[in-house]
Amino acid sequence: MPHDRPRRPGEIVFVVLLLLASLWLFWQSVLISGFSGLSTPGVFPMLASGVMVVSALWILRDTAKRAPDGGGISRFLEQVTPLRQAVMLGLVAVYVSVMPWLGFVVASGLFLIATIGFLWRRNFRLTVGISAVALGVIYLIFRVAFQVVLPRGTLFQGLF
Amino acid sequence: MDILGFLTLSWFDPLLLFLTGAGTLAGIYVGAIPGLSVTMAASILISFTFKWDVNEALALIAGVYMGGVYGGSRTAILLNIPGAPSAIATAIDGYPMAKRGEAGEAIGLTTVMSVFGGFIGILALALFAPFISKFAIMFTSRDYLLLGMIGILLVGTLSGESFAKGAFAGALGVLIGMVGLDPMTAEGRFTFGTITLMGGIPYVVAMIGFFGVAEAFVQIHSLNLPVIKQKIDRIIPHFSDVKRYFWLALRASGIGTIIGALPGTGGDIAALLAYDDAKRITKNPDVPFGEGAKEGLIAPEVANNAAVGGAFVPMLTLGIPGDAVTAVIIGALYIHGLKPGPLLLVETPHLFWFIVGNLALANIFLLIFGLTGIKVFTKIVECPKAILIPLIIILSSVGAYAIQNNPVDIYWMLLFGVIGYFLKTYGFQVGPIILGVILGPMMDSNYRRAMIGARGDIGTFLWDFASHPISLVLSIAFLLMLLSQTPIWPVLKSLISRKTNVSNQ
Repeated sequence: MPHDRPRRPGEIVFVVLLLLASLWLFWQSVLISGFSGLSTPGVFPMLASGVMVVSALWILRDTAKRAPDGGGISRFLEQVTPLRQAVMLGLVAVYVSVMPWLGFVVASGLFLIATIGFLWRRNFRLTVGISAVALGVIYLIFRVAFQVVLPRGTLFQGLF
Repeated sequence: MDILGFLTLSWFDPLLLFLTGAGTLAGIYVGAIPGLSVTMAASILISFTFKWDVNEALALIAGVYMGGVYGGSRTAILLNIPGAPSAIATAIDGYPMAKRGEAGEAIGLTTVMSVFGGFIGILALALFAPFISKFAIMFTSRDYLLLGMIGILLVGTLSGESFAKGAFAGALGVLIGMVGLDPMTAEGRFTFGTITLMGGIPYVVAMIGFFGVAEAFVQIHSLNLPVIKQKIDRIIPHFSDVKRYFWLALRASGIGTIIGALPGTGGDIAALLAYDDAKRITKNPDVPFGEGAKEGLIAPEVANNAAVGGAFVPMLTLGIPGDAVTAVIIGALYIHGLKPGPLLLVETPHLFWFIVGNLALANIFLLIFGLTGIKVFTKIVECPKAILIPLIIILSSVGAYAIQNNPVDIYWMLLFGVIGYFLKTYGFQVGPIILGVILGPMMDSNYRRAMIGARGDIGTFLWDFASHPISLVLSIAFLLMLLSQTPIWPVLKSLISRKTNVSNQ
């Protein structure tokens, strides 16, 4: 039942974005092979993105019917992207972008120390200790036992 | 004789035996730790194991699957937090039992009954899959198209807030699966002229993003888990209990196997239905439901483990995943160059019997690990999420990278993770997306084959759906399911009831 909870902060904006993305994807699907035949590569993408457009409209209708949450952007920041999530996302983004440069081992070590330190807030030595043990176990299991190739960095010339 | 050999292959091969055992043990922990899901573990594991021999990879994954479905029950009983969606119903009666000081008994009973359910599911797989497979050879392209649509529809309707959200997620998955060169004409689809996109988006990366990273971000909301210590004494269940609930367990196994075998529905739905069923058929429980009734503990746990065997049936015979985990396992089979479908049993019967034997072995390990090591277990489960979440992200990154040693895949993973986080926050399920990614390309090629078979004539194409018995049955099933979700349904229902009222007067 769509009416039993109020709208979540930012929900209507999100659904509108989904609708716009669906329309754009539908347009991209039409560009593949147009309406030239029924068994062309573009038919199924058009069907799928068509379903997306219709269901996004339906979701929009349901969402618009809900009682507005009120509170605007501040509530959105508080409930959907609180500081913790935003900082974590930033740290993950930094982590994946420096990995080709620092290599997996160094980047992951720093990432673990930063994120565990940030989320857990215990003393620094314990954080570093836990990070080191966790990283050691991951390295042993995946690099040594599973023989998985881990990304190496350009900075240390393939050492890590 | 051959069959027996393949069936027991993993029982006597030390490496396979070890991998199955390790997988089951790991699965129990993964399933039990809230925030880690079996689908997450399976999708990350697949990226590591795809260079292995197929038997070894399957042994590990079967163990993780079996153990993971069961593992969720432990945290449900001990902490009132279902470790996995399939254990939601378990918490309703399991936790009150633990509060009464019967945690050990609850865990013991759950273990024995889960193993029982697991065996029924495996038995069903061994008995029915060969028949269904023979039958499935008669399926045509349009039947596969219908099965795919039914699968996405089922998972879309039964999970999440609304049908529209399920449909949206399924269609999004189908589109993600379409990216890259079209396998029939080699035309680019959604490649935007870049070479990177021509090979498509590896679905394992999408899985890791949606199930691993997105889930990790959602978990940040609930960092501080209240830890409740439970006293655990007797674990081996009373034989009288096992005997008393035998018929209930058998019934729940049936529900679990059938629900598991339906394309798109798995252990979580099976568990809820079995709980509901047990509640209806148990007239006078010793303890009321919701306050620690053993019936309410047994039924969902039997059903979710029975669903494992059931979920393998459509996967191995039709190439259609029974639930999200089997969708991931199908991905693994493709990576290993196998083609799940009706010909799998004809061309590679050894693989089928190996899987059956391996699941049975995992089930035996489940019994052993389930009844031991609970003390250590309670310590590990208390691992703070603040440590767990960074680890999930690192493991996900290693997994995404390992598929083709391409750092770009890690960026994809992060992108899907962020999209998945917002989708989850606003009440969308990510399960249908993964099913769509797996089933999309299959549905696309079957649709086009069926259309070419009808010589591009829409009338002939539609008539084919009604004029062949198998297609007709599937079409009716699909339409009924679709109708029941649209606003037309209540109108139809009231029309029919009005008509019968009028004719009665």
